[in-house]
Amino acid sequence: MPRKRDTASNDDVDIEIDIESSDSDDGATQRRTNRRQGAGRGGAKGRGRGKKPASEEEDEDDEDEAPRGRRGANKKKPTKKRGGGDDDDDDSEDEAPKRKRTGAAKKKRGGKAQDSDEEDSDVGKGKKGKKGVGKKGGKEEEDSKGKKGDAKGKDKGKDKGKDKGKDKGKDKDNDKDKKKKKKKDDSSSDSNSDSEEEESMSEGEMARLMEEVEEKKKLIATIRNKPWRMKRRLVHLKEAQEFVDKFEGALGKGKGRKWYAYKVMMKKKWIKFQRDFENFRTACIPWERKIKEVESHFGSSVASYFIFLRWMYGMNLVLFGFTFGLVVIPEVLMGLPYGSIARKTVPRADQDTAQDYSVLMDFNGYCKYSVLFYGYYNNQRTIGLLKFRLPLSYLMVGIGTFGYSLMVVIRTMAKNADVGGGDGDEGEFTFAWKMFTSWDYLIGNSETADNKYASITTSFKESIVDEQENQKDENIHLRRFLRVLANVMITCSLGGSGYLIYFVVKRSQEFANRDDLGWYEKNELEIIMSLLGLVCPPLFETIAELEDYHPRIALKWQLGRIFALFLGNLYTFLFALFDEVNTKLEEEESIKNATIWAMKEYYANYTRTFNDSDSTPPPMPPADIIRGPCWETGVGVEFVKLTVSDIQVSYLTILIGDFARAVIVRFLNYCWCWDLEAGFPSYGEFDISGNVLGLVFNQGMIWMGAFYAPGLVGINVLRLLSSMYYQCWAVMATNVPHERVFKASKSNNFYMGLLLLILFLSLLPVVYTIMTLPPSFDCGPFSGKQKMFDVIMETIDLDLPAFLGTLFSYAANPGLIIPAVLLMVLAIYYLNSVSEAYQNANMELKKKMQMARDEEKNRRNNTDSTNQVMKDLEDLLPNRSLMPAAPPPDPGKKPEQDPRQTKTKPGSAGRGVNLQRDVALASPNPNARGPVSQPPGPRGAGPMPGPGPGRGRGRGRGPPPR
Amino acid sequence: MGSRASTLLREEEIEEIKKETGFSHSQITRLYSRFTSLDKGENGTLSREDFQRIPELAINPLGDRIINAFFPEGEDQVNFRGFMRTLAHFRPIEDNEKNKNAAVSEPLNSRTNKLLFAFRLYDLDRDDKISRDELLQVLRMMVGVNISDEQLGSIADRTIQEADTNGDNSISFNEFIKVLEKVDVEQKMSIRFLH
Repeated sequence: MPRKRDTASNDDVDIEIDIESSDSDDGATQRRTNRRQGAGRGGAKGRGRGKKPASEEEDEDDEDEAPRGRRGANKKKPTKKRGGGDDDDDDSEDEAPKRKRTGAAKKKRGGKAQDSDEEDSDVGKGKKGKKGVGKKGGKEEEDSKGKKGDAKGKDKGKDKGKDKGKDKGKDKDNDKDKKKKKKKDDSSSDSNSDSEEEESMSEGEMARLMEEVEEKKKLIATIRNKPWRMKRRLVHLKEAQEFVDKFEGALGKGKGRKWYAYKVMMKKKWIKFQRDFENFRTACIPWERKIKEVESHFGSSVASYFIFLRWMYGMNLVLFGFTFGLVVIPEVLMGLPYGSIARKTVPRADQDTAQDYSVLMDFNGYCKYSVLFYGYYNNQRTIGLLKFRLPLSYLMVGIGTFGYSLMVVIRTMAKNADVGGGDGDEGEFTFAWKMFTSWDYLIGNSETADNKYASITTSFKESIVDEQENQKDENIHLRRFLRVLANVMITCSLGGSGYLIYFVVKRSQEFANRDDLGWYEKNELEIIMSLLGLVCPPLFETIAELEDYHPRIALKWQLGRIFALFLGNLYTFLFALFDEVNTKLEEEESIKNATIWAMKEYYANYTRTFNDSDSTPPPMPPADIIRGPCWETGVGVEFVKLTVSDIQVSYLTILIGDFARAVIVRFLNYCWCWDLEAGFPSYGEFDISGNVLGLVFNQGMIWMGAFYAPGLVGINVLRLLSSMYYQCWAVMATNVPHERVFKASKSNNFYMGLLLLILFLSLLPVVYTIMTLPPSFDCGPFSGKQKMFDVIMETIDLDLPAFLGTLFSYAANPGLIIPAVLLMVLAIYYLNSVSEAYQNANMELKKKMQMARDEEKNRRNNTDSTNQVMKDLEDLLPNRSLMPAAPPPDPGKKPEQDPRQTKTKPGSAGRGVNLQRDVALASPNPNARGPVSQPPGPRGAGPMPGPGPGRGRGRGRGPPPR
Repeated sequence: MGSRASTLLREEEIEEIKKETGFSHSQITRLYSRFTSLDKGENGTLSREDFQRIPELAINPLGDRIINAFFPEGEDQVNFRGFMRTLAHFRPIEDNEKNKNAAVSEPLNSRTNKLLFAFRLYDLDRDDKISRDELLQVLRMMVGVNISDEQLGSIADRTIQEADTNGDNSISFNEFIKVLEKVDVEQKMSIRFLH
């Protein structure tokens, strides 16, 4: 029968443990479900077992009841005690006194019991039930249970074990089947609330609390007599009173008890909620599991790319929110519809082809005259009912994009630098830590376990690489020479390719004026650029072999070099773009005149044909109006085209370069002359540098183009999103880990640095165009203005009070700006020097810590010289030095040893060490003799390598001298 | 039937366990039911197979070592007392315990005892030293066949070299403590048992 009881209580325990042991790491959820399943299984079994005998025999059933009652009693006791100090004497499992006691308690407190709207068939029992409810702090579960029980007519099957036990005798005549069913039903819910209630307080805590409350009360009573200052007295008094207020309720004085129970329950719930919330938040970090999976198989370096990608996605999402929320959507909702004015209409000449697929793919036709591009926006000052100032908002968002990006990049860099500085000296016990602390013992899911397995292996591999790097015995001159040589070669090739680009750009400008060009001449620039992009990175990589850097550093060099190469790419692109813009600007002038002329002509014609000079002519159909080239849209289209083609190329590269290759290698391997997997093509490695740079340059394009094509940000968000999934899949499915898996630097500040550089580079042309070039006269939100930023002036003049306008004009005065700039420079200088000083202080502290550690190490090793007192003692007891070897924990014996012994031994060990240290500190520098004569080495400073250290350690661990 | 189980959880018994391990009354009863649910043989003791049924231990590369830690040397059964004594290592250190434990004997969940527990996971032959061979064995458990023997050997060497201060080419408990000095063992080796 105890077996049954135990099994019956399985449920709650398992469930409770579930809830309690949850941890907030990524495996947590899986683990929990796992366990819950286990619990469910156990519970089901237990219930099944409990059920069987019950259905067999009625007597069995009664027996069954009894232990349940006892269990309930066990659990109930703390509550009882809490209920009042007078019940403390009841410790036995006997049922008779309990019955008496409850009876008494009922009498005493029945009146106090809070009313509930349960129907009671048995008044006495009902009261008891109610009392129970009140006692337990009015928990909802409890209530509902009470109802359930009462509906049945008896309290019997309820969780009130005591009642059950007591009623057992009386209620034998009751219908058993009901009871049985009831019990089964209840076992789960009962146990839940039972244990929950139990959670609130245990016996020992109760007693302790009561003691403390008494103490505090005494303190309140006697505080006048204390020889303290008034301030201290007040503080103590307040503390004590608060404490009493808080916990007196717990001890069952009046209404406070219920309130207290409620508070405790709410607190527990709150804590649990917080934990769940934490878990939830961890689960909400997007792609965390994907990235972890990649990391565990490919190492932190590959994972760093994905983390960077995720970060980028977050940033772009914010940019997207700004652009769409403040520019695109207002224009769509409140602006004039398509076809209403010229800038929103496809010209008549293009209308036939405007819907062709090829045209749309070039972002011409309907695409070009859509909300995606600058030209579509109208220059109305305010739109819609809300009087939304779209042009102003457009400019602000354009500038805000850069502002926000700068802020985020710099803040992230600073934060990363912080992390990097925090745990600088990790190098001490790398392997030991990995060895002893890497496994997460709470993992209960086999998939997570596999990942962890892989990640431990990977991290060991990473450390091995680091280690090899450290232990490389190198010919430093040869290495230096090789590195210089490599750099010279790379500089040469960079210079060469730079010149090549320059040459080609110049040639293309010449070609631009001629018509008799072949295919090659037309596409020369692109061909050269892609060739360079194809040839140079592998070339750099080959040259980098010479340098023999640690792969992490090599990656940085590689990134830097390819970056420099790609800058040429950027330069040519911008160059071509500015050329185009300039020609368009010239073109515009003439067209502007033509438009005005055409308009006049139109009106004149109208008047002449209809001979009706009075009536206003109907406006010209917007498709027919002659319009300028709108260079802004042109630039936007260029950027969008570039981005889209970039997406296509990179996805195709993955599909062909990685996937097709992997498929071929995998499946043709069966029928090939040589081993494809190990031999020539093999599987691809994940190209970190290429991917990171691709991402960085892509972002540069976005920054530059976003002003002229607001839709670009949306495209980019889609691209990042899809590429996250696509690349995660590709890397897991088709790539193999690097030959030398290396650890990424903790902060990916290098990536961030590249990003910052690109950000500045892309900021320049955009700001230049905003500040200097005149906007097109017939398209875009700034049409009709001299400069784009005139919008701001206009707003200041028209919308803000006059004095603000004058204020701004003062603020724009060079007399103010120059001092402000000076001040900022000074502030930068000051902050810089302060941070340098902090860095120095940091270094000093680190050095000091290292020294302290070394010193301690020394002291531990030559204990011989440390402690004169101990030495004397040992001299007195010649055998003692041998003894400590015995007591050190005998691992096998330990769990079965007498508990007292287990406890004292480590304690004394601690004290032994403490004592030794204390005495060493107290005595007038006992070290003076030892280490001064010899340089402090890690060990062996003491004269005895043999017995000495052994004795020292032994003493440290052994029982202290008595 | 079952007189044993009910006697096991007599009040005195609970009190004793309470004193020894510091668990609260309800924690003990709860863990007791957990104990009995693990006890498939229903003889009041747990065997190694019982432990291996726990999924967390089954997939843990060091699971065997942990299970071993529950069993006193030479025996393959553990009773509830022993079970609780081992679990007590993982009881979190409470705030009010921190200051007062210096006075009385050290509780099972002290930092030193936690570390000792961890130490014994690695000390396969129970000679109070982690030798190179033992490290190698444990490493083998942890990384499987993904790393060559040679590299594993160098890892083990390296670990010992880092930790060993007295030059006996093995890691003693004191050295072990030293290595994990900065690791938050109190936090890492704690399970939140229900109160």
